[in-house]
Amino acid sequence: MMAPPAVVETRGLVKRYGDQLAVAGVDLIVGPGEIYGLVGPNGAGKTTTMKILATLLAPTAGEAYVTGIPVDADPLEVRRRIGYMPDFYGVYDDLRVWEYLDFFGRCYGVPANRRPPMIGELLEIVGLADRRNAYVETLSRGMRQRLCLAHTLVHDPALLILDEPASGLDPRARVEMREILRELRAMGKTILVSSHILPELGEMCTGVAIIDRGQLLRAGPIHEIERSLRATALLRVDVLGDDAELAAAREWLGTDHRVGDVLEVERGADGHARLEVPFDGPPDAQAALLRSMIEAGHRVIGFTQATSDLEEIFLKVTGQTDGEAAA
Amino acid sequence: MTATATNLGAPRRAALREFLSAVQTIMVKELRSRMRGRRAFIVLTVYLGILALITYGVYVVVAPNARNMAGGGFGFGFGQANASALIGQSIFSLLSIFQLILVCFIAPAFTAGQISLEREKQTLDLLVSTPLRPSAIVIGKLAAALAFVVLMIVAAVPITAIVLMYGGASVDDIVRQQLVLLSTALVLGAIGLFFSALLKRTQAATVLTYITVLALTLGTVMLFIFWTVVANQTDDGRFQAGPPKRAPEQILYVNPGIAMLDVVGNTEPGGFGGINDMLRDLRGENVAGFGGGVECVGNVCRDVDQFGNALEPDGRAGLSGYWWPRIGITYVLIATILTLASMRLVVPSGMRWAFGRRRRHAPDAASGIPPDAAIEELQGEPER
Repeated sequence: MMAPPAVVETRGLVKRYGDQLAVAGVDLIVGPGEIYGLVGPNGAGKTTTMKILATLLAPTAGEAYVTGIPVDADPLEVRRRIGYMPDFYGVYDDLRVWEYLDFFGRCYGVPANRRPPMIGELLEIVGLADRRNAYVETLSRGMRQRLCLAHTLVHDPALLILDEPASGLDPRARVEMREILRELRAMGKTILVSSHILPELGEMCTGVAIIDRGQLLRAGPIHEIERSLRATALLRVDVLGDDAELAAAREWLGTDHRVGDVLEVERGADGHARLEVPFDGPPDAQAALLRSMIEAGHRVIGFTQATSDLEEIFLKVTGQTDGEAAA
Repeated sequence: MTATATNLGAPRRAALREFLSAVQTIMVKELRSRMRGRRAFIVLTVYLGILALITYGVYVVVAPNARNMAGGGFGFGFGQANASALIGQSIFSLLSIFQLILVCFIAPAFTAGQISLEREKQTLDLLVSTPLRPSAIVIGKLAAALAFVVLMIVAAVPITAIVLMYGGASVDDIVRQQLVLLSTALVLGAIGLFFSALLKRTQAATVLTYITVLALTLGTVMLFIFWTVVANQTDDGRFQAGPPKRAPEQILYVNPGIAMLDVVGNTEPGGFGGINDMLRDLRGENVAGFGGGVECVGNVCRDVDQFGNALEPDGRAGLSGYWWPRIGITYVLIATILTLASMRLVVPSGMRWAFGRRRRHAPDAASGIPPDAAIEELQGEPER
């Protein structure tokens, strides 16, 4: 094990529902202080993995540890160290916001004299301080989401497990949620967060694991994953010229064996067209391609690598073209 | 928490305290939402109002006839010399039976949704992922649901106590009545909670709970009668000669009605003969249907068999309290079993074995801190 003990560690985690394999051997390591993204389409096994870590499901095989404690051997101990926010959850109708947090504070054994200040601080963090006495049922979706996030913090856990914390939120609420997570990270929390909406994770995650059909496709620090994927970059090539010239440029590109199917994605009124060129090669090979393209007489006015945000990485890795992942 | 941990031999006591505080956590939350607003207040007021009206109604009906009915003059063995006692006894009986019926309706309704509603509203995962033990969750919910039922039962005692003014029932009788009501509430609450934990949908849990209530009350009596009739038939369907047989009386140990009849039929100053005969019939002691019965002279009665021989020479003294203690004990047993079963059902599937033992994890190898110390540290850290 590495010098700082992993907050989350799974080895060959398997969960089987009947003959369906929800998680098929996932190895994860999340170090302290990380915001770790669990990324994958719906039904990829993210929620199942998180439920196992939250001690709500027993793994069929494999091991899972939270701060070194096996989740299936000592679930109560693990629960004291994690805050868990499920993907779907309800709230108790008849409780006020502060009573809701007070209840969970009691559940986690927070002493009575520490609960009132704790509630005040948590409401401050999630921006619900002015809603202290409101009934939970009157809160908007975004507010409930933040209240639920606050409830995961009542016992000051080392690890937060947040299953789709941004789902169903409008862009503004998402930004707020993201800011809160950054703040929590600054407080020293380790956060395991799942999403099928990737760009929002890309901006704040330190590490990411891409899961599909229960299998871990890629995992590691986010820049490493980006680098490894940059080898097969998507180039945006802007070419000037009439139809014949454009066709020639496409044909020329097509002769290179490292180039995939070239797509013309847009055509400007001024006779320039943008081509999307999947290219299997490192940056220096890209430079060589650009030089030889210009030498071949094509009028290149733009040559950029499409910013490889998580969305694209994800689509590439999971081999998906559209659908849920883009939603 | 830290104070008790330093005591000698404290771990067990600390665990108990932790458990009780967990139960309290659930109760506080449940009661906060249940008792909120006017609902509880109105329900209780209406309930007590109805009981008061019944009391008055019984008085209006019984009082004018009491003198005629007293002294066995009515013809079916009231065995009351005293008209006032008859009024008291009538009020006591009707109040008791009415309360029992209400408990049979109310207690299951309070618990049949307790856990399935949390499933339906998707709040259960949040609750179950806390370190609260499933046992504390179940007991807290049962206690919270019963708290209001108990309040209703106990709040009616002053109304029942009016019978002490007339006679016909003593303080002990009221205590017995309370025991029957409370144990009935307990078992019906536990049944509702069990189905609520077993089934996903509240609707199904409610239906099954009330079917069970029906089975316990009417079903057992019908089964007993049916069994007895069959047992007394010969193979070719004729009535069997010889001493009558009867179904095992244990069937009736789950019937709250029999328990309450036992209480009201055996009030200390002397109960209703009719009810008594029936109860003794069920016991197989007094075969009134075959020529036996109760002979009363004044307020001294004795039970006789079909040949007119006394069954119990000391009159009514030996009569009271055959059924209700047996039924009460059965209820406590059933409630315990069902509550234990509910606890298992609340634990997430596949995790059940992990809660079976109180396993303490070995000191955390990675950090070198024993888990308990680590928690203290976590909890001791101020929120920022």
